[in-house]
Amino acid sequence: MRQIFYQAMSRMKPTMSSYDQALFWCVTLLLSIGLVMVYSASIAMAEVDKDTGFRSYYFLQRHAVFLLVGVLAAVAAFNVSTEKWRLWAPSLFIIGTVLLVLVLIPGIGREVNGSRRWLSLFVINLQPSELMKFFVVLYAADYTVRKAHSMDAKLGESISKVLFPMALVMAVVGALLLLEPDFGAFTVITVIAMGALFLGGFNWRVFLGLIAILGVAFVGLIASSPYRLARVLGFLDPWQDPYGKGYQLSHSLIAFGRGEWHGVGLGASVEKLSYLPEAHTDFLMAIIAEEFGFAGIAVVICLFMFLVFRAFAIGVQATKLERHWHALVAQGVGIWIGFQSFINMGVNMGLMPTKGLTLPLLSFGGSGIVANMIAIGVLMRIDYENRQLIRGYRV
Amino acid sequence: MIRHARAIAGRRSDKYAVKPRLERWRVWFVLSCLLGLFIVLLGRSLYLQAWNEDFLQNQGDARYRRTLKLEPNRGVITDRNGEPLAISTPVQSIWLSPRSMQVLPIGQNRPKDWKQATEDELVPISVDEVKKLAAMLAISSDELLKKLNTTRKNKQGEEVKSDFLWVKRHISPADAKRVLALNVPGVYSQTEYRRYYPAGEVMAHVVGFTNLDGKGQEGFELTKDAMLAGKPGSRTVIRDRRGYIVEDVSTIVPPQEGQTLQLSIDRRIQYLAYRELKAAVDNSQAAGGAIVVLDARTGEVLAMANAPSYNPNSRAKIDPAHKRNRALTDLYEPGSTMKAITVAMALNAGKVKPSTVIQTGGGTMTIGPATIRDDHPVGAATVEHIMQKSSNVGAVKMALMMEREEMSNFFHDIGFGEKLNTGFPGESPGRVRPWKNWRPIEQATMSYGYGVSVSVMQMARAYQIFAGNGEVHPVTFTKLVAPAPGKQVISAETAAQVRKMLEMVTLPGGTATRAQVVGYRVGGKTGTAKKLVNGVYSDTARVGSFVGLAPISNPRLIVAVMIDEPSFALRYGGLVAAPVFSNVVAGSLRLLGVPPDAPTTNILLPGNGVEDVKEDA
Repeated sequence: MRQIFYQAMSRMKPTMSSYDQALFWCVTLLLSIGLVMVYSASIAMAEVDKDTGFRSYYFLQRHAVFLLVGVLAAVAAFNVSTEKWRLWAPSLFIIGTVLLVLVLIPGIGREVNGSRRWLSLFVINLQPSELMKFFVVLYAADYTVRKAHSMDAKLGESISKVLFPMALVMAVVGALLLLEPDFGAFTVITVIAMGALFLGGFNWRVFLGLIAILGVAFVGLIASSPYRLARVLGFLDPWQDPYGKGYQLSHSLIAFGRGEWHGVGLGASVEKLSYLPEAHTDFLMAIIAEEFGFAGIAVVICLFMFLVFRAFAIGVQATKLERHWHALVAQGVGIWIGFQSFINMGVNMGLMPTKGLTLPLLSFGGSGIVANMIAIGVLMRIDYENRQLIRGYRV
Repeated sequence: MIRHARAIAGRRSDKYAVKPRLERWRVWFVLSCLLGLFIVLLGRSLYLQAWNEDFLQNQGDARYRRTLKLEPNRGVITDRNGEPLAISTPVQSIWLSPRSMQVLPIGQNRPKDWKQATEDELVPISVDEVKKLAAMLAISSDELLKKLNTTRKNKQGEEVKSDFLWVKRHISPADAKRVLALNVPGVYSQTEYRRYYPAGEVMAHVVGFTNLDGKGQEGFELTKDAMLAGKPGSRTVIRDRRGYIVEDVSTIVPPQEGQTLQLSIDRRIQYLAYRELKAAVDNSQAAGGAIVVLDARTGEVLAMANAPSYNPNSRAKIDPAHKRNRALTDLYEPGSTMKAITVAMALNAGKVKPSTVIQTGGGTMTIGPATIRDDHPVGAATVEHIMQKSSNVGAVKMALMMEREEMSNFFHDIGFGEKLNTGFPGESPGRVRPWKNWRPIEQATMSYGYGVSVSVMQMARAYQIFAGNGEVHPVTFTKLVAPAPGKQVISAETAAQVRKMLEMVTLPGGTATRAQVVGYRVGGKTGTAKKLVNGVYSDTARVGSFVGLAPISNPRLIVAVMIDEPSFALRYGGLVAAPVFSNVVAGSLRLLGVPPDAPTTNILLPGNGVEDVKEDA
């Protein structure tokens, strides 16, 4: 009897897998939820849209293809040694910048709804800003490792040698993004770059100073003009102009309210019936909230929290193995996915003004999915190599 | 591992010589920040979904929850045999919203691939389209354009266009389909119900009509509007943004359908009555006329028609004079038709017998300053004879045998001055002045039908006392299963005696030989009353009337005919009204399958050269 018990126990004892199974399933779950919800959110809209040929499965079909391409891209990314990624980082960053320039050139870049965000590549439209987020993760990590010697130097030196060059590069990329305009992507890459510098050991007092300066500037700007305050904080009360500027947000909030604890059920959303625009992209979370309620929201948020936690844990593991670039890339991916999903959900819940950021891994959108999946592939690769090293293998 | 790192450093450059210090606290700090943000999201979500959800759901309901009215179908009106007299048929009404439209300048067209981008975007509509639309609906395009551009001030004082405009109402579904096929965005059609009256003008005064919105305006459509209309139901639904119903959010309250109203009217008799009345009114160039046919045994109205009439199916403006339901609302002084009542009163009170001889002298009688005259003095005559010849003096003498109060009571017993309670709008109770104020001359004139005003329907109701055992039943327009209890006014014996006299009126020597019917014995009394014009009895204007029963051996029908201001030559009730009676009775009795009570050779007309007996009262 005892023997059987110990046998069972030993069988249950975790044996270290060669890859991060938990992360794999977390991502798989998020992608699956995304596929179902994109279909659910788009079905009514696609059915009545001339542009989709009145096919209700139009977005489902496309999203499925994107997922397939994304998974293939992730597998490919996983199979590339991190050394290669590290070598390519600066070149990729330059390529990304060139693409951002190309997108602004009329004739090459495609304009949709007043924004130049897409490059037409025969059958698909590429959104360089999505790829750029990933390239910035790679590049910022590389930059931070490269500037390690100046990180904790004197204040003046650290600013001039570390912060200033980075700020210059980011200003160029940021300007290109703002020209599209894509304010959301701008925010995300700035946070990624700053995060990499901070994690890389950059003088925290400087960050504190930066935050203080930004805060003072913000307060000053608002104090100088109450009208501006109203504009900035307009998103907080969409009910003042619910049929104009507050239209989308008010409907998003209604979707949340309708969902209550466990939602109205899959497919039963009313908001998706042409009331809430962009339900399958930027406002997917609102439909999840309506159809699955707080329970659904909690599940999705927990999955994202776990994803972010895993990314940071992988980073810590890499740090222990003295793989600093890898650590910064893993944590950069965590910051990217975490921050962007926070912004997207925050917008959905009326915590911040509309940005035009999709929900990573869930929202409809080819470039976004593929870029997210490459990043996940690289993250899993870093973890894979960590495990190999722990086991005494060389990578 | 270190070797490995050095390898990279050596391979690439000295740039990577210094290893970064990745402090653990920074990782925890950033991770905590990110996870903290997610916790904030969870809190916010909890607030929205578990705290503020009532407000948000109300906002949502305000946007897509609608309570729809479920319109009941209006009940059908049928005649006593179930033939439809008023039915509702589905029609289409074309509407649009001027506020959401924008008429393009002349010559400009909407782009072919135009699609409404937002809800608030105005629908561009070209002048050509407006013209096409107007042409197809046979309305003036200029007027439609004007309506499309008309603005008015709203509460805020802004100039706004109207939100809703009926372009054309009540067109056939096929026409509506063609209009919608023009594919003008923003033009819609809505199903409405239009009332259709198969019997048209024949039944107009009985059935009445509804307005465009389906509300009863006249006749039974008005009287029984609540019953016919039913009660609307309701349904609370959620609609998607294009207006389609997505789901029901509460139980559907079904509409209470309007009930079928079965009238006592017999469509065939009504046709007959209207046709004959109209012919008589036309031939005599009369101002108007009315006819009522009652079932003598039950008091049910089998027909009630007026001339002139109107077509309730036409939406053209109806002359108010044509809408007048003369049979119920118009009062007239009945004239000699009253004499049968006076005789019945005297007989019933035992003052006279049919064979009692009354001295009418030279046909004149003086009461105070007034003189009563007979056109055809009858000298000393029996009651029967007085009736047959319609002697005024004879009637007055019988009336003066009665007390004023008795006479007044009798009038009220047979329904003069009493409401008919048919429910019709404008129905008149007639006029009988309080007996205490009667002067002798008034009591005298009342005996031959002056000084008392009645409607045709009241006269027909009063004649019920002669039809059976001397009872009066309430008149009704609804079909009865069993007759309502009547009120005994005169004895059955008196009734039989008067019936005999009424028949004599229609026989040679009587005033109404033209009332006779082949195969049936009939009875009745003519009336030719001078009309009061501006308070003075006119020399030329008369009301010719006839009230009769058929068949007289066992009365089945009571027919009252009144012709208002016939031409002077045809002023006599016996000439203008009695033939209508005859024709209506002849047709009706046959329709009802009443067995003849006389040989078909019973018509006895006065010989050639012998003038009809005519009375002038």
